[in-house]
Amino acid sequence: MDPAPRATTSGVGLGLRWDFLEEVLDGPDVDVGFFEVSPENYMRRGGYYPAALERIGRRYPLVTHGLTLSIGAEAEPDPHYVAELATEVERLGSPWHSDHLALTSGAGRVFHELLPLKFSRDTAFRVADRLEALAEALERPVAIENITYYAHAGRAELSETDFLHTLFERTRAGLLFDVNNLYVNAENHGFDPFARLAEFPLERAVELHVAGHTRSASGLLIDTHGAPIVPAVFELLAATLARTGPLPVLLERDNAVPPLAVLLEEVRAVRRVVEHALAGRTPRTEARRAAGA
Amino acid sequence: MQPALERALAELVLGPPLARSDLAALASRHALAADDRDALAAEFERWLVYRKLVQATLRDAVELAIPRTLARLGALFDEYFARFLRERGPQTHYLRDVTSELLDFCAPLWARDARVPPWALDLARHEAVQIVVSSEREPAVKAPLGELDLERGLRFVGAARVVRYAFAVHRMSADEGDRTPPEAAPTELFVYRDEEHDVRYLELSPLAAALLERLLAGESLKAALLAACAVTGSDPGAALDGTARLLADLSERGAVLGAAPEASPSVPAATEAREARLRAAEDCSNMAGFGREKEPHERS
Repeated sequence: MDPAPRATTSGVGLGLRWDFLEEVLDGPDVDVGFFEVSPENYMRRGGYYPAALERIGRRYPLVTHGLTLSIGAEAEPDPHYVAELATEVERLGSPWHSDHLALTSGAGRVFHELLPLKFSRDTAFRVADRLEALAEALERPVAIENITYYAHAGRAELSETDFLHTLFERTRAGLLFDVNNLYVNAENHGFDPFARLAEFPLERAVELHVAGHTRSASGLLIDTHGAPIVPAVFELLAATLARTGPLPVLLERDNAVPPLAVLLEEVRAVRRVVEHALAGRTPRTEARRAAGA
Repeated sequence: MQPALERALAELVLGPPLARSDLAALASRHALAADDRDALAAEFERWLVYRKLVQATLRDAVELAIPRTLARLGALFDEYFARFLRERGPQTHYLRDVTSELLDFCAPLWARDARVPPWALDLARHEAVQIVVSSEREPAVKAPLGELDLERGLRFVGAARVVRYAFAVHRMSADEGDRTPPEAAPTELFVYRDEEHDVRYLELSPLAAALLERLLAGESLKAALLAACAVTGSDPGAALDGTARLLADLSERGAVLGAAPEASPSVPAATEAREARLRAAEDCSNMAGFGREKEPHERS
């Protein structure tokens, strides 16, 4: 199917977190292309945070990135949740909405964590159909993010990338391509992320994510978003952009959140990598240099 | 086989502690296909990572909401938290609401468990109401109270409620290390969110609490006052002045927005009256330092 039209938000954005929300709210303009927000923290509620976000939305483009849709579950997405989500993305004027290729609820429970989906044809079809329905319900383009998976949910019938190709054959939704997730999966499952990159349907990418991760005592990389981006992820970002051309890129930081000034410096590092990659320079060496590594 | 897989994964991340040797029984319980069972077994340790992540996120959310309850109950809390995950589990999309789900689950169980202090649920509810009220929907739109009309009800801010406790948990120390038990004393509080989005607590007399509960439920001022006087044994005539002062104070605070548009029916008869004791509302927050940043929220 034809991909969704690309939305207008561009540049390097930053995940808006409550750790620095007031600094953004009350401080001078910060140099970010957009802020990305988790709508669950602002929807179906009143009080300070939705009011603050509305004020921030008057100064910066906002993009919504959901966490609890559970698009791959057996049960249809909760219609009350989707209705509230539609109200929220409209309120915030998000040009598109994204969520994760994940199981975040099942058997009547909401896990509040991104569990992996079974890479099967049935799941791909189910997700694709639901993405179409979601775009209709939200009245805007939607995108789905490749997640970090530490384990496989049952026996995989397809590789991750074959799963994605199967899915995108049936939906106009975009791919929110998380570069760090590819890197973490490669490290944890023992494959070459640069070689695997070529297999992803990046022609469907509408946004890129970058973040840091943490190595656990067992050696497993955990997608904590709790550390600076490592040079290899910058290199992967550059390699990705060399294939996709210009796309909005988002820096995520959720744990051990440093002062806003430090995050903005990392945003600038990402921007340098983006500019170098789009200028057609050798990605792997330039990415390292541009990131200051 | 997706439902079987989801049930198995739910038990894996929320259920009782699991050893590799338990996997066959888990697979059998949920009629999991053999190849899916083998796949889970092959990466069993990594599924325990998911278990740790899920439970840590949920526990952190609850601890942010009711830290003093957790500190005072200690291992007993852990026992009930594990039971909640195992038997009910979170059913809300909103991390901020998980604590309320947990307390609804625990309430009848704690009432029957002699190991749980009788004030524990009051303390937990009192801690949790901060987030409930701070996030309640509906914006506050201030309007002058104007003349009181006994035949009409009142409009309150959306984020307002009367809470009742059997213990004076609102007077307990904010220090999580303090183990002094609360005084056993019937307690009524009016909790509301002000125009600055801060949550305020006002201590009420029984009459004021009974009155406000009825007004919040939509009764007319006359019906609410008569019923409140009836249940508290107060003299309606003597309560009028106090009522006017209370409502004027709440209007000044932005908690009462004005008269409701239409009169409400039903005027219950007053019973034998005693002297009205409608204590003026009094700020009584012990939640100082419980800032906005303490609210649990999703992180991507």
